[in-house]
Amino acid sequence: MTRRFAAGALVVPLLALVLQAAADQWTGAAVVPQRLGARGWRAVVDDPLVGRAIVNSAVVAGLALALALPPAWLAARALHETAGRARAALVAVLLAPLIVPQLAVGTGLTTWLLRLGLADTLFGVALAHLVYVLPYVVVALATAFTPELRAREEAAAVLGAAPLLRFRTVTLPACLPALALGVALGFAVSWSQYGTSLAAGGGLPMLPLVTVPFVRADPQVGAALVLVLVAPALVIAGAAVLLSPRTPAPTPEVP
Amino acid sequence: MGAIPAVAIVVVLFTGAMVGAAWTSVHPGAIVGGSLGAGAWREVLADPAFRRALAFTLWLAVASTALAVPAALALAVAVRRSSLARLGVAAPVPVPHLVVAALAVLWLGPGGLADRLLGGLPVELVGDRAGVGIILTYLYKEAPFLALIVLAAWDRATDDLLEAAAAFGAGPVRRTLDVLVPRVAPALALGAAVVAAFVVGATEVPLLVGSSGRDTLATHSLDLTRLGGPAARAQAAAVLLVAGALAAALVVPVALLARRFRP
Repeated sequence: MTRRFAAGALVVPLLALVLQAAADQWTGAAVVPQRLGARGWRAVVDDPLVGRAIVNSAVVAGLALALALPPAWLAARALHETAGRARAALVAVLLAPLIVPQLAVGTGLTTWLLRLGLADTLFGVALAHLVYVLPYVVVALATAFTPELRAREEAAAVLGAAPLLRFRTVTLPACLPALALGVALGFAVSWSQYGTSLAAGGGLPMLPLVTVPFVRADPQVGAALVLVLVAPALVIAGAAVLLSPRTPAPTPEVP
Repeated sequence: MGAIPAVAIVVVLFTGAMVGAAWTSVHPGAIVGGSLGAGAWREVLADPAFRRALAFTLWLAVASTALAVPAALALAVAVRRSSLARLGVAAPVPVPHLVVAALAVLWLGPGGLADRLLGGLPVELVGDRAGVGIILTYLYKEAPFLALIVLAAWDRATDDLLEAAAAFGAGPVRRTLDVLVPRVAPALALGAAVVAAFVVGATEVPLLVGSSGRDTLATHSLDLTRLGGPAARAQAAAVLLVAGALAAALVVPVALLARRFRP
């Protein structure tokens, strides 16, 4: 009962968004909407500013991800080849940006983006997002490089497999789930960046920036936009459900 | 060697950002040709609005973290044995803060779902001056994050110790406080510091759920930026640097201590 309540209390609020997005008429103290419809979704589809914001956010997330994946792959691999203080220092450097306010990073980078002529460009915003995307992708990819994978790679090398063949037949298949998680996580982090988008993006319409004014002003459209914003996170959650073990943890109930 | 590209990217962009913010704060109008000086810092430090924003930010960080830690322990204990319940608890973790803030407005705002279901909320939670709505929003988002940290640190040896404590007659609360908490304390303390640091610098939740009359450091810097002009931008950068320094001061010592005391 406690467990159901704990899980339900955290999932149910998310489902209410779907109802709000479909509530064409929901006045007074009514518990359910008086009329359901697609006004919220039509506004999302028809508003050119929203459309441009969605495209911009997708392009920026794709760019940030493309910039993050190769170095993140190498860094994740290096994390498993280092130990002790060197590993701790590497983790600290890679994760350091996560504790600093997005708005501070965006504001600081804008100074340089202006000088480089990249301010208010999608590439400039992607660079700002990269500060936050890269650590998450490294963390996701690091789950793939286990001692078992290393042993299998060494076995393939002993059997005479060339580096490219080893990568294609051993490393890549073993890393695919972590790679998928890294891509989803990196995309979701960039997709929802508010502070860096606001500071480095200037006047560029981005999905998080156009969502905020709607949330209080027009809850139906706001809910539809929030559902678009949360979609990558839901993909991650869905993947976690599909990939999670079906058996309960074999531990006694404590305390 | 393999980590060099990633480290180089982080160092160049992150250090560049911090240097850029510091430069903006001491060189108003750097782009159009201004002069160097600490005027923006003097203005900020003497500004009562800044001091109010700093106090409100610290209150939100302390209250949110202080509530999220026991809630996380309770959640971890509750879902420990069920993988499905764990997934339910983990659900809000990847959800962006902006989405959680929007959910808070939708549920707790005037005319929101909680209002409809309960026939009116006894207190105002969105836009309230004490920041209760903001704190509840962070509680919803950060307690599951900390619960996952507790579960990750909860190993087989912890289970054995809990069983031994139960055999000696310790009740659930005693077992949690005397066995579980010391075992997970380093990881939980670091997680709590990260949560507090995040609250210090976050924009989305106070912007959507907060009161327009009470700023956090982040929303105060936004207000300054909206004023426009090099001087206001320099002050906004100074405010954000204070937030960044505060966040680092919360996390770095705890990270060093947590490493030393890890079981």
